[in-house]
Amino acid sequence: MSVGRLYRSALVGQWRGGLVLLGCSVLESVPAFFSGRLVELAVDQGFAAGKPGTGLAWLGVFGLVALLGAIGSRFVWHQLGKVIEPMRDALVTAVVRGVLHDDSPPRNQPDASGVARITQHVEVVRDATAGLLVQARGMMVTTVAALAGLFTVAGSLAWIVSIPVIVSVGLFAGMLPSLASRQRALALADEHTAETAGSALVGMRDVVACGAEPIASMAMYGAVDGQAEAAMRMARSTALRTLVISIGGFLPLLLALLVAPGMVISGELTAGAALGALVYLAATMQPALRGLAATASTVVLRLIVALRRLSETAEVPEVVEGHAAPRGAAVAVRGLTFGWGAHAEPVVRQLDLDLRPGEHLAVVGPSGIGKSTLAGLITGMISPQEGRVFLGGAPVREVRAAERHRLVALIPQEAYVFAGTVRDNLALFSHDATDQQLLDAAEAVGAKELVARLGGLEGELGHAGEGISPGEAQLLALARVYAGSARVIILDEATSHLDPVAEAQAERAFAARGGVLVVIAHRLSSALRARRVLVMDGQETLLGQHEELLVTSARYAAMMQAWITPAPLRLSSPSTLPATPAASR
Amino acid sequence: MTRPGDRLLGEVARLDPARLVLIVLSAMVATAAGLLLPGALAAAVDAAIGGRNSWPEVAWLLTLGTSEIAADIFGGILAVRVTSSGTAWLRRKLTDRLFGLGTRSKFAEGDAISRLTGDCVGAGAITSIVVQLGSAVLISTGAIVLLGLLDWRLALVFLGSVPLALLLARAHLKHTADDVLTYQRVSGELGARLLDAVAGLRTIAASGTADLETERVLRPLPQLSRAGRGMWKTQARMVWRAALLLPAVELAVLAAAGFGVASGRLSIGEVLAALGYVALGMRMVTQIPLLTTLARARSCGQRLMEVLDSPVPERGNLSLRPGNGTIQLRHVSLEGALDDVSLTITSGAFLVVVGKSGSGKSALVNVLGGLRPPDSGQVLLDGAPLEKLRPEELRAVVGYAFERPALLGATVSDAVGYGSWAGEASVRNACRMAQVHDVVVRLPDGYHTPLTETPLSGGEAQRLGLARAIVHNPRLLILDDATASLDTVTEAAVEEAIETALPGRTRVVVTRRATTAARADLVVWLENGRVRAVAPHASLWHDPGYRSVFTEDSQ
Repeated sequence: MSVGRLYRSALVGQWRGGLVLLGCSVLESVPAFFSGRLVELAVDQGFAAGKPGTGLAWLGVFGLVALLGAIGSRFVWHQLGKVIEPMRDALVTAVVRGVLHDDSPPRNQPDASGVARITQHVEVVRDATAGLLVQARGMMVTTVAALAGLFTVAGSLAWIVSIPVIVSVGLFAGMLPSLASRQRALALADEHTAETAGSALVGMRDVVACGAEPIASMAMYGAVDGQAEAAMRMARSTALRTLVISIGGFLPLLLALLVAPGMVISGELTAGAALGALVYLAATMQPALRGLAATASTVVLRLIVALRRLSETAEVPEVVEGHAAPRGAAVAVRGLTFGWGAHAEPVVRQLDLDLRPGEHLAVVGPSGIGKSTLAGLITGMISPQEGRVFLGGAPVREVRAAERHRLVALIPQEAYVFAGTVRDNLALFSHDATDQQLLDAAEAVGAKELVARLGGLEGELGHAGEGISPGEAQLLALARVYAGSARVIILDEATSHLDPVAEAQAERAFAARGGVLVVIAHRLSSALRARRVLVMDGQETLLGQHEELLVTSARYAAMMQAWITPAPLRLSSPSTLPATPAASR
Repeated sequence: MTRPGDRLLGEVARLDPARLVLIVLSAMVATAAGLLLPGALAAAVDAAIGGRNSWPEVAWLLTLGTSEIAADIFGGILAVRVTSSGTAWLRRKLTDRLFGLGTRSKFAEGDAISRLTGDCVGAGAITSIVVQLGSAVLISTGAIVLLGLLDWRLALVFLGSVPLALLLARAHLKHTADDVLTYQRVSGELGARLLDAVAGLRTIAASGTADLETERVLRPLPQLSRAGRGMWKTQARMVWRAALLLPAVELAVLAAAGFGVASGRLSIGEVLAALGYVALGMRMVTQIPLLTTLARARSCGQRLMEVLDSPVPERGNLSLRPGNGTIQLRHVSLEGALDDVSLTITSGAFLVVVGKSGSGKSALVNVLGGLRPPDSGQVLLDGAPLEKLRPEELRAVVGYAFERPALLGATVSDAVGYGSWAGEASVRNACRMAQVHDVVVRLPDGYHTPLTETPLSGGEAQRLGLARAIVHNPRLLILDDATASLDTVTEAAVEEAIETALPGRTRVVVTRRATTAARADLVVWLENGRVRAVAPHASLWHDPGYRSVFTEDSQ
């Protein structure tokens, strides 16, 4: 989503609040509008005319007007929440939507600092918008009101002096984009410095172990110098901005002073009016313009940088809705080829595979070889470079999304457990399941005791799986899918944190449930339970039954051999199967 | 006596004496011009109002205005230059010291990072802070003096009205903290919900429930909105009085000036000058936050000195003796970790270190390869004490791999060759040995895939870490639980590959797996920082205490 669109879409609908703000602005601008006029009156009719009482009275009026203005700004602040909070809500919603609509998310740990940064950026947008609405708007209002007031005391003078003001404000606005890009460069340089420092210092043990202190220092020096240069480029832009605004504030004063004598002589301007005009220019408008330049540029720049960052995450991919209707839930893979990039070795090459209901397939091979990618291809999350995957006879990516999700479920290694009740978690894919169905599902996959320990279906779970182990989180994710409607189930190392006995129970439960079961194996014992085995070892992809593969695939045989041989721990292992010697974590 | 932090700040300020002089000069020009401007304006106004030719006055005003603007801009650029180069200087100095301290540094990672990123900036700005403060003081006092010269009554009124106005405009410090706390709490709750959902992104993507999950994450949003509105209302109550500060002082001085005009002491132009002096006189009030910044800069300087004052040990200068990686530990102790450990590892041995968590396994291997110096005792590699060896030579013959390696460098290839200048071919070879080559070639750009775009599982990172340890063909290879995330098949394959490609290397392996221990020549069994036994696995296995070491964390 473009930066502008994101911000506009967040601000749209706030026009009513905006109108009210405009109304408050009028009240707030009263002192600026009357400042010169009242000084003129106090001098002309009061102090210069020898009537100090009248002069004081006019100054009293000035005081009242200042009070009015202050009340106006109080209204502005009061009103601010009604514009800014809904804007923040809309922004948060757009960003959260964007983050969660990730079609093929990576398999690494959730990026906690990334989430924290999102929160920070949203707060920056909130504060910066408030800054714009309070300060920059206030300065603008003051400048306009002072110019308007000038028209009331010295109309002909006002025409001449407003030109440089308008020109400089226009120039300033025109400079904002280039300022913003330098500000962004500076922000990136800052981040780069922090990241370079972070990775080197956090990895100090590794830096020292590699004897890489000189390399790490060099990288740091580079980042530090880059940051200093970016700061200088920013400073030059800022200087230009200051120049434009300073001239815009100073030039009107000079013009007025040059023109005024003639006007006083010709009687167009009284002495008091001349003083009033200069009060507008020197005491009201010039400081406001300087303030505008200082606040507006920093605030606008912060805003743009934060928005740009957010708009990268607020992207929601377009979904092309399919219309194909699958018959049944058999999976067929034909000539499937996929690699992660043009220079990358393909993960699968020309794969053919038929999975009919009742099938139980285990996929084995070293980690990182592309087993999860295969899972993504079968579920239709990833589109292949060549070949096709059919679900119930229809190309899987052309099946209506809701139907596809009803039929196919993938349980990844990283179990999704969220804060809420156990029921919320278990019924995620089956909202109308009865309590008994949920409890039965839990019992089937071996999560009965866990659910009881958590306080039954009403038990509350905390954030980030607090209070439950990773294995227990996996049990909940398994029970959830077991209770659901899926006819094709892929366990992508979904039992990696369970012990071998619990893993066997869960796999058997899914095998007995019917439909297609694909187990991406974390341990080789999964292969012994499956009807067929797909071996992916980076060199070849072989499909067959366990006994066949022991004969036909030297690699498979070697893997099995290496896994079964080392004996000592079998003594302490309670499993009847040849269990992995030490439960890997 | 000056604090060390202040001495450091002084050093930063004197880094670039020429620019320092220029900054002070331009600040003085800007200050002087700023102070003279109201007077010049008054003269020009009087000329204009009198209908006289105002050219000379306007010319003088133009000169002053131009010099103020020019000095401001010139000084602004110089200030950034001096600040950024001061910051960079501090950062380089700190970087050197931190890498000099290496693993001996007593500063936690986060702490060191914040000193490098935050404190260096705070301290680097010292020149600019002091100059700004100085000119604010000069301008304020100068304005009051000039106001007094105009009419001493005006200065009195000004000085009298400022405290009163400050009192009037004082911010309510009565915090209505409830909304703020609620806002922070709900904001945190939203973040936690989002993080939960991000952890389950694969489930969400696979089940197509993104919209539902968005709604779930955003459920506390209305509460956040309410608290937010409450905060703005509180602000409204606090802020509006501050808007009265300047007008109140201005009015008081204007009234006094009015009487001056009425009695003929002041011209009309001088009323305007008085207003100008008031604005300048108030500058000190608006610059008060600078005092906080100055205090912060001083504490930053102090925090930097804490790092810079940490002594860096002397670098060894002995060359390695020829050998095949024989290690001797003589009465080595490390506080809280190792207690009088003596051990000899013959060259080419495959030694496994086992023990319960906290028994000192990592401490032992850190001492073995010179990653940490022992508090007492001595470690010899092929007869030479580690601390006397040239560090770069020592690093070249010792390879370390860890359970959670920090992979550094821009690309995957850089990360494996990190610190060793290994070429592409040896990087590939090492990756083959570590059984990670097949993974790397499937990445979008193979070996040139940037690390930041490479989501690695624990096992993949471990294997890259292994490749990094063997890429420079070390005499001594130390694996600190470095295959913990690998399945046993891959682990065995890695071991076999290392044995074949690097025959006769001394290997020290920390493990929690009995199968690994069974393959070793000798097992060192640690308990509470002491050596409980050194023997082959088979002869220890009958001891239940030994067996319990392995069952500790298997599920």
